[in-house]
Amino acid sequence: MDTPPSARGPATLTLAGAWRGARAMVPVFIPVFVFGAAFGVAAHAAGLEGWVAALMSALVFAGASQFAVLDLWQSPVPWVTILLATFAINSRHLLLGASIRPLTRGLSTWKRYLSMTLLSDLNWAALISAEARGERDLGYMVGGGVAMWVVWLSATVIGGAVGDFTLADLQRYGLDLVMAVFFATTLFGLRRKKIDDLPWLVAGLASLAAVWWLPANWHVLAGGLAGGVAGLIQYGRRP
Amino acid sequence: MNTTDALLVIFAMALVTYGTRAGGIWLVGFMPMSPRLEAFLRYLAGSVLVALVVPATVRGGAAAFVAVGVTLLAMVVVRRGLVAMALGILAAALYRAFMGA
Repeated sequence: MDTPPSARGPATLTLAGAWRGARAMVPVFIPVFVFGAAFGVAAHAAGLEGWVAALMSALVFAGASQFAVLDLWQSPVPWVTILLATFAINSRHLLLGASIRPLTRGLSTWKRYLSMTLLSDLNWAALISAEARGERDLGYMVGGGVAMWVVWLSATVIGGAVGDFTLADLQRYGLDLVMAVFFATTLFGLRRKKIDDLPWLVAGLASLAAVWWLPANWHVLAGGLAGGVAGLIQYGRRP
Repeated sequence: MNTTDALLVIFAMALVTYGTRAGGIWLVGFMPMSPRLEAFLRYLAGSVLVALVVPATVRGGAAAFVAVGVTLLAMVVVRRGLVAMALGILAAALYRAFMGA
């Protein structure tokens, strides 16, 4: 379990891997669908035509930033605010992508960058969780991403057309917590004995500090980087 | 917002978002792969997960603590992700139903 990724040879990108990844996403289909439908409803309420909301879900494919932009949907277009909000909310992808760089080893540049179009929290979490069990196929992330994209897009369309539930309903069923517990189970599988304790503690404290003291949406970036640096310092001090 | 603006906003958002998706591996590509860098990236992955879970739990209040706590406990006992997730969500839903949160 402590073998560095480099010792495990080049990564692959296969259909079989994509299928494994898609199946790993099944537990989150319902929450992703519910959030997508909620976005469809909210977009409709904000005055977006159905096809516009669907196009956004298809091309942007990043729920939190899509919700945020609905509040900014006005004329004249607040360009700077919209693009800054989009970047801030999605900047966590930078860390997700960086962390799976070793899993793109040996893949051609276009395969690597085409795969990244589907990078998202849930399929990334599924991939690194599988990597801890020996997975070396980037298709795992791509397949999970395609599955989520299909669910997310169809949910947006359906939500805009028929839905009338609210976020309060989601809370009652506890669905908003599915993401948190999904990440928690991933974290559990990722833990490598005691060497993770200190970096993870730093990450948790830094993310909370960012929630309290930084503008909204920077906590994942702050916590991730702080924990990574703490790990690096610990690595440097190891006998 | 008219249709032209709407399309421009969506394309601009898509570009910025793709930039964040591709930017991570692009930036790391400038650094030579070393055991040190790989160690950093592995700590990065775990730390990002922590930074996703911890604030969501704290902001979610008591029900979120119940959900995540029961899920982690269930992982220790049964070691099955799906079962643990289901138990965590069930516990949070019950908590909300009976505590009126």
